[in-house]
Amino acid sequence: MDIIFLVLALLALFGATSTIMFSNTVHSALGFVVTVLALAGLYALLNATFLFMVQIIVYAGAIIALLLFVIMFLNIQQSHAPKEPNKYLLMLVSAIAIVPFDYLLFKAFYSMSFAGDANITTKDFGNIKMLGNELFKNWILPFEAISLLLLVALIGAVVLARKKERA
Amino acid sequence: MNIILISVVIVNIILALLFSLGAAPILVWVERRVAGFIQDRLGPNRCNIAGFRLGGLIQSFADMLKLVFKEDFRAGNIKERFIFRIAPVIVFVSAFLSFMVMPFADDLVIGTQTFIMQGLPLDFGVLWFLALAGLSVYGIILGGWSSNNKYSLLGSVRAGAQVISYEVSMTLALVSLLITYGSIHLVDIVNFQSGLIFGFIPAWGIIMQPVAAIIFIITSFAEANRTPFDIAEGESEIVGGYHTEYSAMKFGLFFVGEYVAMSASSALMVTLFFGGYNIPWVGTDTLKEHFDIVMIAIIVLLPLLSYKFGGWILKNNVWPKADDKRNNESKWLIRILVMMNIFVVLLLGSFLFFGVSATTTNIAVAIMQVATFAIKLLLMNFVFVWVRWTLPRFRYDQLQDLGWKVLLPISIANIFVTAIAIVAFGA
Repeated sequence: MDIIFLVLALLALFGATSTIMFSNTVHSALGFVVTVLALAGLYALLNATFLFMVQIIVYAGAIIALLLFVIMFLNIQQSHAPKEPNKYLLMLVSAIAIVPFDYLLFKAFYSMSFAGDANITTKDFGNIKMLGNELFKNWILPFEAISLLLLVALIGAVVLARKKERA
Repeated sequence: MNIILISVVIVNIILALLFSLGAAPILVWVERRVAGFIQDRLGPNRCNIAGFRLGGLIQSFADMLKLVFKEDFRAGNIKERFIFRIAPVIVFVSAFLSFMVMPFADDLVIGTQTFIMQGLPLDFGVLWFLALAGLSVYGIILGGWSSNNKYSLLGSVRAGAQVISYEVSMTLALVSLLITYGSIHLVDIVNFQSGLIFGFIPAWGIIMQPVAAIIFIITSFAEANRTPFDIAEGESEIVGGYHTEYSAMKFGLFFVGEYVAMSASSALMVTLFFGGYNIPWVGTDTLKEHFDIVMIAIIVLLPLLSYKFGGWILKNNVWPKADDKRNNESKWLIRILVMMNIFVVLLLGSFLFFGVSATTTNIAVAIMQVATFAIKLLLMNFVFVWVRWTLPRFRYDQLQDLGWKVLLPISIANIFVTAIAIVAFGA
């Protein structure tokens, strides 16, 4: 299990790094696919089977495919990209800038007790039935709020993309 | 790990291989002969090994050999060598893996152990198919892009747009189905369909959910990139689309991948809408209970059907010259047919005479269900071929109109109707 985790985590990091490092947009998008698939694998390791499948269907199958489609449709060349003279310096600065956040994460992570309830999940944790019950019984309001937000974004996109009617 | 577990797993994997990869040459042959039939010509039927033609099936193997031994030519303008090389592999592997969750038979019980009869014993069911169908489009998109020419790029752009727009309707059609079936596990779905409506109609998906069935069938034609949705290939518009620059076995992987994807789509359609491995009106339990009657029926029917089939072979493959080597084929085929009949009749006869254990019954029922699945799969594949040679290709704007303005609203409305019906009348 540890080896699988390490491989998937390294793949995710590799994909994420290549997404921001490559100058070719298609390569960046492919790096993103690698990250998304590696994350799906991590979900599978955590026994979240539904999340694992949905991650692949929605992110890898639809969103990044759409991204690639847009990149190809607009035919973005390397020469179209803006010049980034201080790219690596900026990356370094931003890496330093999120150190406090990292500290917070690590602190939260290490302050958790693994002795008591590390094994709180049952075998069918993360399958559709459990997840559905959880979402639609305990978290119905946030769920609906998020879906409303998505609906607003959807309608907004349609309104923005619509042809202007001639007055 | 015991010996039964290992052998069942191996049998399942071999079955999955046979139904997907092994079906490819047969489907190529079916495609060509049916195309010939529809266009009032013969299709390939001359290729033979020592007079054995099998109605032209040998041609497919000759074509496979040709693809393997052809020069693997790569044009000089292709810069992205790695992506160019990996694209056909993505198409092939994801098509192949998507077949792996199709159940060939009901859960097999041997002694105290229960086995899921799938290539991969997972219960993700339709989600697995959707995920891999989504991934397979990367192969097409990347293949077209890395070919570095305008026609191929156009092909991959078309493929991307098409898959994204049709996957939405496909998923929504599946949602209404899943509300009806109440499970995503394909074995549960098939067992649901073994029931009867009003006592005499099989409760198949196409009768329970006709709208979802039609939408799903249309969208899976688009997912498999088959005519009338093969605008990504569009040989009369954009040369060969995404695979223009591919040759030899790289093209072969695209080619075989298309047929494997078609077979996987057919398998899912059979599983979701046509009762899967169920023999109509006869569920797994009925089969097990009345196994004696089933055996007697087979013993009577198999020789009769074989006699008809042998007569058909003799009628169509008889040549006037006595030393014509093509006459050998009929002779040998009939011998094989007779041997098979004797074997099956003797085996079943001994079962009838000596009685059978529960395990033997279970295995025999599983074999019968696998055969049923194979027949249904072949018929559904035939529908794919039939449609290809009947309908012309959609124009790009017609395709998008159909996807977004017709299929999407209908599938959403279908979800509402289904959900209301389920809540009102109970599942």
